[in-house]
Amino acid sequence: MDETDITFFKDGFRLDGRRAEELRPVKMEVGVLARADGSCYIEMGGNKVIAAVYGPREVHPRHLQEVTRAIVRYRYNMASFSVEERKRPGPDRRSYELSKVSREALEPVILTSYFPRSVIDVFVEVLQADAGTRTAGINAAAVALADAGIPMKSMISACAAGKVDDTLVLDPMKEEDNFGQADLPIAMTPNGEITLIQMDGGLTPDELHQAVEMAMKGCRDIYEIQRKCLVEKYSQLEAPAEEVHACE
Amino acid sequence: MDRKVVVPGDLLSEEAKRSGEGTFVKDGKVYSLLYGLANYRDRINVIPLAGKYVPAQGDNVIGIVKDITFSNWIVDINSPYDGLLHISEFPKRIESDEMSKYLRIGSSLMTKVKDVDPTMKVELTLNDRKLGLIKTGRVIEISHTRVPRLIGKGGSMISMLKKEVNCSIFVGQNGRIWINGGAEDMDLAIRTILLIEKEAHTNGLTDRIVDFLKKEKGARS
Amino acid sequence: MPVSDVLSEIKKDYLYNLVLKGERADGRSFEQYREISIEKNVVRKAEGSALVKLGQTQVLVGVKMQPGEPFPDTPNRGVIITNAELVPLASPTFEPGPPSEVGIELARVVDRGVRESKAVDLEALCIVPGKQVWIIFIDVHILDDCGNILDASSLGAIAALLTTRVPASKFDLGEDYSLPIKDIPIATTAIEFGDVLMFDPDVDEQSIANTRLTVITTASGNICGMQKSGKGTLKQEQIYRIVDIACEKAKEIREKFLEA
Repeated sequence: MDETDITFFKDGFRLDGRRAEELRPVKMEVGVLARADGSCYIEMGGNKVIAAVYGPREVHPRHLQEVTRAIVRYRYNMASFSVEERKRPGPDRRSYELSKVSREALEPVILTSYFPRSVIDVFVEVLQADAGTRTAGINAAAVALADAGIPMKSMISACAAGKVDDTLVLDPMKEEDNFGQADLPIAMTPNGEITLIQMDGGLTPDELHQAVEMAMKGCRDIYEIQRKCLVEKYSQLEAPAEEVHACE
Repeated sequence: MDRKVVVPGDLLSEEAKRSGEGTFVKDGKVYSLLYGLANYRDRINVIPLAGKYVPAQGDNVIGIVKDITFSNWIVDINSPYDGLLHISEFPKRIESDEMSKYLRIGSSLMTKVKDVDPTMKVELTLNDRKLGLIKTGRVIEISHTRVPRLIGKGGSMISMLKKEVNCSIFVGQNGRIWINGGAEDMDLAIRTILLIEKEAHTNGLTDRIVDFLKKEKGARS
Repeated sequence: MPVSDVLSEIKKDYLYNLVLKGERADGRSFEQYREISIEKNVVRKAEGSALVKLGQTQVLVGVKMQPGEPFPDTPNRGVIITNAELVPLASPTFEPGPPSEVGIELARVVDRGVRESKAVDLEALCIVPGKQVWIIFIDVHILDDCGNILDASSLGAIAALLTTRVPASKFDLGEDYSLPIKDIPIATTAIEFGDVLMFDPDVDEQSIANTRLTVITTASGNICGMQKSGKGTLKQEQIYRIVDIACEKAKEIREKFLEA
């Protein structure tokens, strides 16, 4: 297939009916795994990703431990059935790289010095992939870290911008990613400190500026969703409503 | 009292001096470090919903012996950090080769954190009359973040509970709780503690617990 | 500590104080690269090769080619496979064994530059559509890690590709010919430290920095790849500034060394 075979825009709308600067629908649920210390399930468009946090806990093997802080481990893994053609199970070079940059996207906000000699493990499983799995994984992982009670300076939200048919788009889906001209994932704190930025494809310096702005706007929207998801979980736990303001 | 659900990074106050537990100060403003409930008093504290127990000096904890070395019992204290109970911290003088005679692997003990160094080496002691091996009763586990609620302001909740259920109760800061008494009394105590855990973050808890106990005891007699 | 060099507090303070004064330990300006030299065709057994020196950092890149099967989704295109070896001879912190996370990231960013800039005319490397195409193996060998091996490796890769002869005669596929190259991607790396951006970091500078950003630019001055690395953050304006300077630097390097 060639890039020219697909019409990416029709009357200003994308293949899935979105406008250029629109996110795919995002669904998030926190605390979905009983054994994990923190967990989150996320759907971003066709992506289905689950993140679990274990720890802080003892480091094995022991020589990895650091005397003054907790180490953070991040394992991004794609289920073999998550993509069109079966993926060979286990880590490959792509997943090693994504694990590294995703970990580095979260580490700036985690207060690792609170837990010397321990490890905080983040496991991200991609159950269904539809472009943007790394950003979906980071979004879920940040919520799972909060759920695990890990002290953090802020949340982290992630989102990509892309370019198709010479037009910049927010949160590219599979077709746009496969046949697009550029992909630029970003992760950041709510006040705009960027903790992950990658890019491939071709962008002029001007387009790059616009794409960064666009992805950052997406991150802000996702932050609101993450926040809402966490706050709502708490309110569900709230005891019978009529008693809440009773005494004390 | 003003309370609010917060997530890490939420702005809590413009006044640095109001920074309490679970918060941090940046550029003179107070932010939340945790996902939890912010309590606005003079200081703002954020009480987390979850999280691991980190030992602090003076904490009473309940541990389980997981290994024995030449001069230490290594004790799981429901934390990322194991506790070390040195042979000299045993209330009476014993020899290294008889350590497992007194505390075996799997033994539960009421112990106290004697010292924690900056690398989180945790030393435990049994040198206190109320500490020692657990031989009877039951041990349950709740989230350590709910322990302050179980103890209550100035110990109010726990003393009320002890009296009402007629049991001895030892509360470990690590979320492990030992209860000893008659079988039915222990059952009621445990049900009550689990209820306190579940509703720890709600207002009016003490009154609800008193009502709960009244009803339960009424049903029994 | 396997991945990072241990740096004493004293040295950190020294470097930090230098930064406050606007200086670097080796006297360079913040944007200045160390001296670059590129020696081409250093390995006769390889179809293309280049030894890049960036200050004391030394990276050898070799290109081997052989016919093979195309990927099913690109039946008419040659294949590029990029590998990097952080062999223990290059640094006390490199360990023998399977590729480390750092090595994998390095190879993938080098690969990204070559691939996304469309530097190699892959369509010209089709032998029998759907059956046989040329496979290009780009192997990056770090010899001496004195900092910024990423820029050196990326430079080595394109320099080696520029010297590569397709070994057609060896496989009875006609006469040898030069690998068709359409673009020259250049990677430019900066670190952020104490709100200062420093280009072409050496080992010590790398170890005090929390954040690194690599920007790969094409001959037309566009951006074809980026990678942030390290557990720190960057501000939007810092990214834009690195991109601007990267474009300039890349242009200089391209003109001086690669556009004969």
